[in-house]
Amino acid sequence: MAENVRNTALVVAGLVFGLLGFSFVTTVILSDGDLGSFGITVMSGLFQGMILFLVASGLSIVFGLMDVLNLAQGAFFTIGAYVAWTLHHADELEAIPPDLRFVIAVSTAILVGALMGIFLERVLLRPLYERPIFQIVLTFGVGIIIGEIAKFIWGTTAYAWVEPFTLAEGSFRLFDQQFSVYRVFVIVVGFLLILAIALLLQRTRIGIIIRAGVEDSEMVEALGVNVRLVFTAVFTLGCAVAALGGAVAAPFLGASLGIGQQFLLGAIAVVVLGGLGSYEGTAIGSILVGLAIAVVAQFSLEFLNQTVWQSITPMLLLVFVLLLKPSGLFGKER
Amino acid sequence: MPRKHSLAETLRITFQSNWFYIALLLFLIVFPHLVGWITGEGPFGVRGRPVGQSIFWQGIMVEVLVFCILAMSYNLMFGFTGVISFGHALFFGLGAYALGLVLEYTALGPDWGLLLGAVIGVGLAGLIGLAMGFVSLRLKGVYFAIFTLAVAEMAFIYVGRWAVTNAEDGFALSNLPDLFNPTRNRLFFYYFAVAVTVATFLIIRRLMYSPTGRVMLAIRENEDRAQAIGFNTLRYKLLAIVLSSMMAALAGMIHVTLLKKVGPEVMSVTYTIEPLLMVIIGGIGTFTGPVLGAVGLHLSERVLDREFVLGPLTLNIGEYWPLFLGATFVLVVLIFPQGVVGTWNRWRLNRAQKRQSRRKDAAMSPAPGD
Repeated sequence: MAENVRNTALVVAGLVFGLLGFSFVTTVILSDGDLGSFGITVMSGLFQGMILFLVASGLSIVFGLMDVLNLAQGAFFTIGAYVAWTLHHADELEAIPPDLRFVIAVSTAILVGALMGIFLERVLLRPLYERPIFQIVLTFGVGIIIGEIAKFIWGTTAYAWVEPFTLAEGSFRLFDQQFSVYRVFVIVVGFLLILAIALLLQRTRIGIIIRAGVEDSEMVEALGVNVRLVFTAVFTLGCAVAALGGAVAAPFLGASLGIGQQFLLGAIAVVVLGGLGSYEGTAIGSILVGLAIAVVAQFSLEFLNQTVWQSITPMLLLVFVLLLKPSGLFGKER
Repeated sequence: MPRKHSLAETLRITFQSNWFYIALLLFLIVFPHLVGWITGEGPFGVRGRPVGQSIFWQGIMVEVLVFCILAMSYNLMFGFTGVISFGHALFFGLGAYALGLVLEYTALGPDWGLLLGAVIGVGLAGLIGLAMGFVSLRLKGVYFAIFTLAVAEMAFIYVGRWAVTNAEDGFALSNLPDLFNPTRNRLFFYYFAVAVTVATFLIIRRLMYSPTGRVMLAIRENEDRAQAIGFNTLRYKLLAIVLSSMMAALAGMIHVTLLKKVGPEVMSVTYTIEPLLMVIIGGIGTFTGPVLGAVGLHLSERVLDREFVLGPLTLNIGEYWPLFLGATFVLVVLIFPQGVVGTWNRWRLNRAQKRQSRRKDAAMSPAPGD
């Protein structure tokens, strides 16, 4: 068992260092020796990895606990982006300083995501716990509906983030390249969130219940724990985190209809290649996939002059991992 | 021992147990003439030119039939064998692209191009289906579904950027032989689509009534048990996946021939979602379900795609079609998960049981006035 984990860790480390080494060789040695652009690649990879993690973490824990693959997760991401954009650019809130306005926008996005999550779990998913495949179909339908409602409210135009705030404007120079402070901020927040959820799972009572529920939720129920309540809480948390992802991604990527779906696909790839239901697998998987996307994007732009490969990267990685290890990197063999 | 019937008796029994399908087939055969007769235009169009209502409705019916084939093929895999795949669009698009590439990018000429394109498309879909099927040996349930989704999405993204086939724009089919050219000879094309649909239906039905089909049902119910009894379940799953992929490829070919254009949208996830929804609406694991689902869903999409004026209110449902689709997903899953046919069957069964038990009650209870 322990050996198994160590092997997996070795594989992951090998993949990460392989990616970084490949990127280093191609950008720094084969190109014009620019260490800065290598740094940019790494940072953009970590940034994408963190955004992926925000969508994937909810997906993963919810699947582990409830056997529901929540395909509406992408829609929550979209809603988060729209809500944050709207509040930050609202004329009525002009009086509030932009930094505070950003905080309000992000918190409201989280709140909206959480409320929608509660509704979805309580009203729609509850009746279906006996039939997992129908739950997937249902969340898919709900995803479509939320997307259409967003289209109804915000229209089909994409909104770019124009109203600045301190974090988004800041930048620093390193190795002759401009780095954005905001990306660093998102990466730091992402790492903190990874740690916070890990602590929640490992060190608290609710965490024990969740982990036990992942193993065998009927047994936990038999021990007198109200598992249904835990289901609701975890599902809500997942949706809120996805909305947070949309909100923090919006200053960089703007708000548009397809944005959630695009990250959902990557997040599904992350969750499955990390091992369904395994939290550390999801965390490591998102960083891995994010880095891979950035490295492939950099490489194919510079040497192949194409942009196809980076969109395919998550799926390609997923297919390879699944073929080598059918239960994902950290998943349990079954 | 099966009893021997005379020919007339066999025919009578066949007719009695299949009257619904025979009526449907008759309707499909008469349909173009019916529309032509009602509108006074004739099934071949107006004054020899293929335009007008009859031609228009033949086109819509061909689309419906394409979705029938697609939904039936999905049902063979999902409904009968229990293999969940989210990558059905891959095979639909594969057939379309194979046919288009052979027709437009080789010097085979229309007739041989069409034939060879169809053979290559179906063969390739079968081969890739076989490869995917072997993966199902290692990946179970949701893992397999996600795997197929990933492969299909990759293919979709790739053809959307593939310079050879004009990336997002796609390419037109200008090399079709006259007989299969839907703008010249739509009535023939319509009957061709009817024939393919009927053949697909009959193949699936024959398969499911055979011992092989019974094993497939057993795999759906409990794969481990089927394996334990001694069946090589992989072989049966492979058969279902390969057949289903080939049928989907055929549907894709008919689809692009009707549109006379091949573009990356034929590989989009729409062609996975719609058959999935059609199967669920119609009834999972039934023969008629996918057909009813395809007819209902596609016809309503076409009919609702215009403005309705209700007094001061102008409704345009076509604009909100995805909303309608999503709501249908949710409602069907929540309210009747067994679909139209499944619910109907259950209702009939319930009624029959009730009648039987009532008769029994009547027999048991003392006669009135005793």
